[in-house]
Amino acid sequence: MVFWILIAVMTAVAALSVLVPLSRARRSADTPSGNADEAVYRDQLSAIEAELKRGLIEPEAAGAARTEIARRLLNAHDAHGQETGRGSRGPGLKFAQGVALVGLPAVAVGIYLLFGAPDLPDAPLSARLEAPAEEQSVDVLIARVERHLSENPEDGQGWVVIAPVYLSIGRPQESARAYAQAIRLLGPRQDWLTDMGEAMVIANQGLVPAEARQAFEQAAAMDATAVKPRFFLALALGQEGKKAEAIEAWRNLLAGAEGTEAWVGAARNELAELSGSDGPSDPGSQTPAPRGPSQEDVAASQDMSPVDRQAMIRGMVAGLAERLANEGGSASEWKQLIQAYVVLGDRQSAEKALEEAQAAYADKPEDLSSIKDVARQLGLTGS
Amino acid sequence: MIVEFGHYALVLAFALSLVQSVVPLWGALAGDDRLMAVAPPVSVTTFVMVLLSFAVLTNAYLTADFSVLNVLENSHSAKPLIYKFTGVWGNHEGSMLLWVLILVFFGALVGFFGGNLPKDLRAATLAVQGWISAGFILFLLATSNPFTRVVNPPLEGADLNPILQDIGLAIHPPLLYVGYVGFSITFSFAVAALILGRTDAAWARWVRPWTLLAWSFLTLGIAMGSYWAYYELGWGGWWFWDPVENASLMPWLAGTALLHSAIVMERREALKIWTILLAIFTFSLSLLGTFLVRSGVLTSVHAFATDPTRGVFILALLCFFIGGSLALYAWRAPALKQGGLFAPISREGALVLNNLFLTSACAAVFVGTLYPLFLDAVTGEKISVGAPFFNLTFGPLMVPLLIAVPFGPVLSWKRGDLLAASQRLYAAFGLAILMTIFTFWLWGMEKVLAPLGVGLAVWVMAGAVSEILTRVKILEIGPSRAFSRLVGLPGSAWGTTMAHFGVGLTVLGIVTASAFQEERIATMRPGDVVELSGYQLTFDGAAPRRGPNFTEEVGHFTIRQGGIFVAELDPSKRVYTARQMPTTEAAIHTTGFSQLYLSLGESRGDGAVDVRVYFKPLITLIWIGCVIMALGGAISIADRRLRVGAPKPARKRKSAAPAPAE
Repeated sequence: MVFWILIAVMTAVAALSVLVPLSRARRSADTPSGNADEAVYRDQLSAIEAELKRGLIEPEAAGAARTEIARRLLNAHDAHGQETGRGSRGPGLKFAQGVALVGLPAVAVGIYLLFGAPDLPDAPLSARLEAPAEEQSVDVLIARVERHLSENPEDGQGWVVIAPVYLSIGRPQESARAYAQAIRLLGPRQDWLTDMGEAMVIANQGLVPAEARQAFEQAAAMDATAVKPRFFLALALGQEGKKAEAIEAWRNLLAGAEGTEAWVGAARNELAELSGSDGPSDPGSQTPAPRGPSQEDVAASQDMSPVDRQAMIRGMVAGLAERLANEGGSASEWKQLIQAYVVLGDRQSAEKALEEAQAAYADKPEDLSSIKDVARQLGLTGS
Repeated sequence: MIVEFGHYALVLAFALSLVQSVVPLWGALAGDDRLMAVAPPVSVTTFVMVLLSFAVLTNAYLTADFSVLNVLENSHSAKPLIYKFTGVWGNHEGSMLLWVLILVFFGALVGFFGGNLPKDLRAATLAVQGWISAGFILFLLATSNPFTRVVNPPLEGADLNPILQDIGLAIHPPLLYVGYVGFSITFSFAVAALILGRTDAAWARWVRPWTLLAWSFLTLGIAMGSYWAYYELGWGGWWFWDPVENASLMPWLAGTALLHSAIVMERREALKIWTILLAIFTFSLSLLGTFLVRSGVLTSVHAFATDPTRGVFILALLCFFIGGSLALYAWRAPALKQGGLFAPISREGALVLNNLFLTSACAAVFVGTLYPLFLDAVTGEKISVGAPFFNLTFGPLMVPLLIAVPFGPVLSWKRGDLLAASQRLYAAFGLAILMTIFTFWLWGMEKVLAPLGVGLAVWVMAGAVSEILTRVKILEIGPSRAFSRLVGLPGSAWGTTMAHFGVGLTVLGIVTASAFQEERIATMRPGDVVELSGYQLTFDGAAPRRGPNFTEEVGHFTIRQGGIFVAELDPSKRVYTARQMPTTEAAIHTTGFSQLYLSLGESRGDGAVDVRVYFKPLITLIWIGCVIMALGGAISIADRRLRVGAPKPARKRKSAAPAPAE
């Protein structure tokens, strides 16, 4: 409401700047153009006298100038004599008043409503950042910490705070960088090293890159009982094709487990995968362990909000689907994709993936039947 | 809410401009005083409204309000404060708003100070000014609205183009716009004179100061732009014949011609109709410049926006204003009274000569700039018209003009005596010849044109100085009395001298910097030394550094002359993080009027970098000359005397029959 009142005031000021002169002008003395010309020439004459006095021009030049001005003055006077008096009547005044009272506000408000956004409040950045935390989106909170860190890049604790947040909103590379900063500033800690490695693995689509491996090794060296770094090291061995060592690593890991931990299922699956494909007759032996959204990613997504987790999973599934469509992949990867679609509730895509998988493995009956098994368990028709 | 007030103020300014374009004109044509009286207050209110909206946009930049699309696209919260401020006009929408702000500011000035103008002239002038503001505010609102909002804005903006993150942005566009837009006033005066069908003495009086004002600012704006390009782009060039530069040079050339013809008109009441035409051309060329830069026809640093609808809109505005004013000219000009008469050899004659050369030069630049665009549009063939074309057309036109410059001020009005005038320039001529011979002796015969160029520059400068000295009769009355007379000389005399002297300086700088420049390109490792023009440059090493919104690799160099330390230079290569865009920051060492220019090229790894070093003798004179020209203009404006140019009484009437003015 205040907004519209101020708009009205502004409009009134504009209208008044038209109306006031319309009503007042008659009072001032009338100077038709001929008189103005004469005034200019008279000024020039007096200027010449002044210059002559100061010795700036020669007397004869002054004389010539005076003659010239006098000639112009006479011309101007003649021209002025022909001018008729000018009135101030006619339709013009009514028109101008109408324009000021109706036309001006109508045009202004009309155009403003066309282009403007009267309901939209201002949003200066500092106000957005300073609003109470509970009213803010995660983005704003992150931006707040980011600004703080860009001003104080040596604040290790800040990097510790933001690192897991980055991971949970699907920015694993930045998460890894943040952990690296924290480690640089506050010294290495087992859990930071592990989480940095994990972020790197996620950023690398489930494959363990060399730097991540170094981080896990360092973490494991700091605390030999820590499970998480060893879990990833085992995964790395499997991915590198060192099957025997990988199997041993998984066995060691499971040996120390009580069997109820969240990671145990994943570890058993990996182990089974590796052991199962051990036989030389197995056609799938040359394929590496499944990539894409594996258990560790799911573990990472445990402390996410449901929406974020969903988004992260969707991103990973899309990546996997694309890779399979373009480059092909192992039967277990196809199964993973189909499963993922079902978990996400997207049965249509699951059916489509199933069809594609069946087409891809049409000449490999063994894989084909395992794919069909999975489909049956999931309740897909597999037409 | 504040943002929306700014938006509404701009809309109101548009509505007010409409009123300003209709009501006073009606009054002027119908002879109704009340309607005419509307013009000045409305022009002031319009200015206040646009100022308000500009302040609001500035506020949005300062507070990083990313709900304004324009801020989101062109700002960044980490940007240093000064660039948040200058960034307001570092983009298409904001710079157009600044353009309009200056436009309505000039309108308000006429409204405010125009009390001694005939009422109908003032009303008609402001009405024409109102058309221009209405056209451009509508352009802003409809195609490039700076107040477009974003509903859920991101937390960070896209940052300002790094090349524009420089103090130059604070200076160059405002100066240039004051220049461009200042010519709108002379345009409005000219069109008003055509509408009213008469040119009064007051009209003639008003055109010169406004032209001078616009011209001085345009000179400074172009010079600043040239210097900015010189140090920012890292190539050591100060003028590229880039179409956008040409777009500013054309109104400058036409404006210079206008300035000189306005002098004739004010003093002699001659050349009125020609002055009107020049005023129309000058502003039309300013508009053309705006069109070329904004339409996306050209790609350059200046092309912020490449939106075809904007191009079409500006083209329509261009057609309306240029076509309309020229049609009006064709219709009304024959009805205007012809001015005074003068002989071909006279001050007026010299100024007409000046006009001929300047307009021809302007035409040459026009052809060189637009022909490639035209050819591309018609046949699709892409050609590039560069320095060779302009050196062959523009250059030869400038030489006779510069030779003629010293003659103008020493000729008398109406009928002059060329022989007597030449006698007053003997000393200047002698000095120019001496300097030419001296330069030949210094540099040898391999560059024949350069010493002649130096001679020409000295001729212009010495001519300017000797003109003012003979004016006070220094040889006859002695230095001390001459000095007191010098001080008492009117501002316009000093203005002429300074402006002409400045031209000479600029020419001298151009000639020496282009002919005698030395250049070395080398790959240097830390500890390497490069020798150039008697300087030894040692590369001490490079180190990374962090700025507020960029990271840079800074090279450190020590300069010695004959083993003696002279200076340290730190050129750098920056990468602006938000746009991931690299820029080159050259380092410059100034000795006297000459400069040592150092810029970094590629890094070769293992600590080696490519380095480009130039020694540019007397290069700063190019810009110093421009500043002196502009100062001359300012002094001349300050001289508010009323003036009249009368011939000295003819003792013997031997001169040729006076020629008609037009």
